[in-house]
Amino acid sequence: MNSSEVLERKSPTGFIGPIWLASIRDLQWRSRRFLLAVLATGVVFGLALMISGVANSFSVEVQNTVGALGARSWFVPTGSLGPFSVAAPFPSHEVAAIRQVPGVTAANPILVSRALTRGAITSSHVMSASVSSEQAVNLIGVVPGGVGSPRVIEGRPVRQQDSAVVDESLHAKVGQEISLNGVKFKVAGLVSGVTYFAGQPVVFVTLGAADRLTADGKPLATAVLVKGTPTRAAIGFTALTDAQVRTDLGRPTVQAAQTIRLIEYLLWLVAAGIIGAIVYLSALERSLDFAVLKAVGTPSSHLFIGLVIEAVLIALGAAIVGFLVEIPMSGTSQMAVRLAPSNYLAVPIVAIIVGVVASILPARRAALVDPAIAFGGGK
Amino acid sequence: MNLLEVSDLTVEYSSGGYKVRPLNGFNLHMDKRELTVLLGASGCGKSTLLSAIAGLLRPLSGSIRVGGSEVVGLGNKELTRYRQTSVGVVFQAFNLIPSLSARENIELICRTGGQSRIEARQRAEHLLEIMDLGDRMDHRPGAMSGGQQQRVAIARSLALNPPVILADEPTAHLDYIQVEGVLKTLRDLADADRTVLIATHDERLLPLADRVIELSPRVAPATMVEEHRMLEDGEVLFAQGDPGALVYTVESGLIQLVRHRDDAAEEVISEVAQGAYFGELAPMFGLARSATARAAGPTVVTGIPLTEFRTHMRTATKAP
Repeated sequence: MNSSEVLERKSPTGFIGPIWLASIRDLQWRSRRFLLAVLATGVVFGLALMISGVANSFSVEVQNTVGALGARSWFVPTGSLGPFSVAAPFPSHEVAAIRQVPGVTAANPILVSRALTRGAITSSHVMSASVSSEQAVNLIGVVPGGVGSPRVIEGRPVRQQDSAVVDESLHAKVGQEISLNGVKFKVAGLVSGVTYFAGQPVVFVTLGAADRLTADGKPLATAVLVKGTPTRAAIGFTALTDAQVRTDLGRPTVQAAQTIRLIEYLLWLVAAGIIGAIVYLSALERSLDFAVLKAVGTPSSHLFIGLVIEAVLIALGAAIVGFLVEIPMSGTSQMAVRLAPSNYLAVPIVAIIVGVVASILPARRAALVDPAIAFGGGK
Repeated sequence: MNLLEVSDLTVEYSSGGYKVRPLNGFNLHMDKRELTVLLGASGCGKSTLLSAIAGLLRPLSGSIRVGGSEVVGLGNKELTRYRQTSVGVVFQAFNLIPSLSARENIELICRTGGQSRIEARQRAEHLLEIMDLGDRMDHRPGAMSGGQQQRVAIARSLALNPPVILADEPTAHLDYIQVEGVLKTLRDLADADRTVLIATHDERLLPLADRVIELSPRVAPATMVEEHRMLEDGEVLFAQGDPGALVYTVESGLIQLVRHRDDAAEEVISEVAQGAYFGELAPMFGLARSATARAAGPTVVTGIPLTEFRTHMRTATKAP
């Protein structure tokens, strides 16, 4: 053996390529443990994704519902917070004064209330078929053909006193009879995505029917929906924009939505904890390997990056598992789960962040291993 | 100019709260094609010396020069580069990465040193062929014998063709069949314009060596005769780190055994009263004194060689 035959010596570089090799081989070497970590973290990712969908549904349903009513402005009695959260009923004939406001091209009263429905719930909607089929719904009385009458996706709009348009989440079919507060209505049409208060479906009936169901037949309204560009508010009324109405509609669930978001973030942290614990355990077991690698000239930064790579690969694997388990998980949720493509695209990015965060402690430990422990009879 | 020059090297570290100085003013000069064996009992500083030369621990003082370049005082980046290009290390327990094959263990080092993937692969295969391990390239360490693993470890130490090879107890985990190939390989390394420094207590390596350095403390034969000492208060009989020649018995007075803590304080670890003996471990095991013996008041002691001590020990009283 002659040293002259060996390759010319080169300056070491910052190239981290070889660390990929060590990271991949370590993942293979401890594959069962890492697979377990991927599965456990994947379930947490799936849960976080589902929770994220639930949190999204709060804002999406508010947007959909306010948009479905098609008003430019909302007139509510002065002093009222809005038409949904704390409604203040007023005689519906006061709409005449609002129609006189310059710039108003159309104005119709609506009555927002609640009702109890029976007969439309199917076993697929609730967790068990044995559960009572009674359900609280959001009731909105509208003037047929007027502002506030929603566009249907199936059937026809509300026209008669005994007809109703319901959100498809109620799982009712056109032509089916439903009971609202004990009064029978025929489902004339369906709307989609019109829910509020955490997925509770909206049922549209005529304003008169709504008055009979909730106000003993008195001609009351809780808001006037306006088209056009009113130049001023009517006396005794405050004009609200769509944005203000959305805020009002989201007010009762804002704390619930914040709590759900918090749970989502906590789940990401739990995922980071699982990955961190597994990678840290691996780093502990590989202390001697790291010492040897440092002793033979591997920069600490390479060891650091190697463990970050491992953690990120586990997190990305978990993200894939998360996608797969989220679908059946969401199917069991009684609350709406609304996930946009951006939510799915965000998961790998969050997974990388989770992986990096999870690897900081173990990677730091690897980088700080004393190479001198490579000497001696350890192993 | 020597390839490896170690001058006046002193290494001190903390162990269990006490200061330990395994090397104190050590000197070593080695040239190309030279194989030197460091002999000595465990704890005498062999691995410490290798660690210092490998740039893994910083000495208290002294100089280490490889190819004329000073190693002591290099920054972290320079030390990393030094470890890659100037020294190859063969460890006692092989210390191969268990998840990597034999070839990958070497490739990893080659690539860390800046070689391309193809260069690294060719280099690894070349070295494994030289080590007669051509048919074991894709085996993981766990599937190889101790001798084969050690030859892979030697091949790894050559990955970036360093001029100095350090081997720490390279035959400790090998049986007599496996050791033969490893010994021959180590000799060949030195014959290829390198300097090879082996720390061992395996005497099978001695015939290979160009030079043998005994690291255990040496005791001058003249000091191994019975002596009577009258000590005044505070007078030191022997100091921590001295070679141990005699076993002492306290005839009258009191001896304190003192250790120096790493916070510069002293700790009295034992007091030896009249009739008791002390200091038998250092001569018995060829170690340096592990504590300082100091008189607490006027004291008379008798020191006897180990052979005489063994004769008398049945009648003596052991110190607490």
